[in-house]
Amino acid sequence: MNPIKAALANGQTALSEFQSKQLLSSMGIPVTREELTQTADEAVSAAEKIGYPVVLKACSWKLMHKSEHGCIELNLTTPEAVRKAHNKICERTNTPLEGVLVQEMVAGQRELVVGLSRNPQFGACVMLGFGGIMTEVIRDTVFRVAPFDRVEALDMIQDLKTKPMLAAFRGQKPADLTALCQILMAVGHLGLSEESISEIDINPLIISPDGTIKAVDALIILENKGSL
Amino acid sequence: MITSIAQSPLFPIANPKSIAFFGASNNYAAMGSSILTTILTDGFEGSIYPVHPKEKTVLNLTAYADVSDLPEIPDMAFIVLPTKIVVQTLKACGERGIRHAVIVSAGFNEVGGEGIDLQKQLQQIADHYQIRFTGPNCIGVVNSHLRLNATFLPSKGKQGFIGMASQSGSFITQMFSFLDDRYGQGFSTGFSLGNEANIDMVDCIEYLGACPNTRVIGLYIESIRQGQKFIEMARRVSLVKPIVAFYAGGSETGRKACLSHTGSLSGPDHLYDGVFKQSGIIRAHSIEELFDFCYTLGSSPLPRGNRLIVQTHSGGPGAAAADACERTGLELPQLSSETLEKLAPFIPHTGSANNPIDLTYTKNPLDFFHGIPEVLLEEEGADGMLIYFLASAKMVRTALTGMGVPKEEIDTQIKNIIDAQCSAIASLVTTHGKPIVGFSFLTRENDFIAGLQDRGVPVLPSPERAARAFGAMVDYTRLRNKLTQQKV
Repeated sequence: MNPIKAALANGQTALSEFQSKQLLSSMGIPVTREELTQTADEAVSAAEKIGYPVVLKACSWKLMHKSEHGCIELNLTTPEAVRKAHNKICERTNTPLEGVLVQEMVAGQRELVVGLSRNPQFGACVMLGFGGIMTEVIRDTVFRVAPFDRVEALDMIQDLKTKPMLAAFRGQKPADLTALCQILMAVGHLGLSEESISEIDINPLIISPDGTIKAVDALIILENKGSL
Repeated sequence: MITSIAQSPLFPIANPKSIAFFGASNNYAAMGSSILTTILTDGFEGSIYPVHPKEKTVLNLTAYADVSDLPEIPDMAFIVLPTKIVVQTLKACGERGIRHAVIVSAGFNEVGGEGIDLQKQLQQIADHYQIRFTGPNCIGVVNSHLRLNATFLPSKGKQGFIGMASQSGSFITQMFSFLDDRYGQGFSTGFSLGNEANIDMVDCIEYLGACPNTRVIGLYIESIRQGQKFIEMARRVSLVKPIVAFYAGGSETGRKACLSHTGSLSGPDHLYDGVFKQSGIIRAHSIEELFDFCYTLGSSPLPRGNRLIVQTHSGGPGAAAADACERTGLELPQLSSETLEKLAPFIPHTGSANNPIDLTYTKNPLDFFHGIPEVLLEEEGADGMLIYFLASAKMVRTALTGMGVPKEEIDTQIKNIIDAQCSAIASLVTTHGKPIVGFSFLTRENDFIAGLQDRGVPVLPSPERAARAFGAMVDYTRLRNKLTQQKV
């Protein structure tokens, strides 16, 4: 079953991080390697498989902005740390969880945000911006109306004020712009093909020192048309 | 996309041979009378049939009691009646066979309540009789090449190459003297859109794109209604001629509360920035800039790139221009040794051949208009020029008097010299295919400024505005290249 339909049938108004990334990944968007776990033991074995260091995150469609709720444990390097973090997250959250997400820790200081919003006149609009927790402080954002091609996606990237960080930067390689263009176009296609998606945030999208780009967190908000 | 304006629903509105006029009387204070007076004083040559229930003549024209009495089916109806009788009037026009209209009357969607229903009725009648109309709640139409000015303020009949569509009612009308005084320009064609109940901005872009008198399109936008259609049409037209838009942002209300960062960052201003880029439209950030850009883009050949040379004989304006160029993303390259060599004989010892080229004074004052810009346009490392103009008729008079020219010949000689110099610059632009944008703190009262402008050399009122206008040309070149690339 289509994950969006399933979520809607389940009464969800958003997809969880895990569900969001699975959907994005199916559109060809690179996401972090991760596993959804129920117990501390499962978390440890997932961490062993993914490779340290890892990140643990509480996973529920109700937790939209996790970093504001203390539901993330970063940079865990040992089984013991993973076990402790798992317990801590379960104790801290009141929301029923889908599970605890064990995720590779992506290195990289350069962060972007890619998103989707809907405008009554233009329909699905794709946003690219300076990402991370400072997104709404820096407010360096560029929009295009979906659909658009690779030339337009490149033009969009050129419009970022902070674009110098996408070039070779402090010993790090230039960002993979081909991949970034594909991500931008894919988000547009998703917006056009899935009308129940009202908003998407991929934030952060981390650029690693080797230039590769990966979605580290993602949020897909749904609009249940039936209930309106 | 249409290939000729005759295919557009706006054709009979902008090029009527005959107009049925509703709402003019012999009371000069009435809006309808005021518009009809303007049509007459601006010299429209087609037939006008005022329709009035009581008057036998209106403003000295034979009046008709009913639209069914008209001697022919006019190309369009122009309606400036009280709201409550607009619907029935449009219906009567439809019955008579009229297929085009401009509805100036207000009191429809913009007031809400009953107005919304009235506007729907207008749309239904239009659909039924296949009527296409602009408005309601608009201020008419202008076509300077037909001397048609159906608005409430007379123009001086100045013809021009700027085609305009405006969502602000009387905006076009108010700009007549601004365009004339600043640039010696007029509107080729202008549409006031009002509520866009039938014809909308997309139709106007299509019409102006095909309009042979229009070299550049200006848009005053408050809100784009059919987003996707707007983008598609603008992308096609931008390949043919530049479109410049001024968006008066922030007026769009009713945006839903958003849960994501993306949602809360999706304010209309940022979004419209992207829409314009995607559509190949150059965005102006003020009304002045809208017309500076339109005027310059319509006057000049396009630069191939962003490198330009500033020519001045005063340090301040030159430095200000250089500074403005840098902020606009324009480059001031150093001159090649070849150019420097050719330039040397023209430059006095006080001058500087570092770009900006500050001549301080010219040994032969007339070199400034020909010899020097010619050398600079030949520079392969530059794509165009900004030139500061300071010369005046008074300077020429002093020089001629000093040379002992007889008094009675001086006026003619001044005129000849100014004509020759302005023509020299204009022909350099044509020969070299590179744009020259002039800047000066003088106005069109100065014969050099008017002479240059009237020969197609744009001159703007400050170095900053000239630099920004040059930047708009660079932007357009880049946007058009992008669109061309996407077309293949």
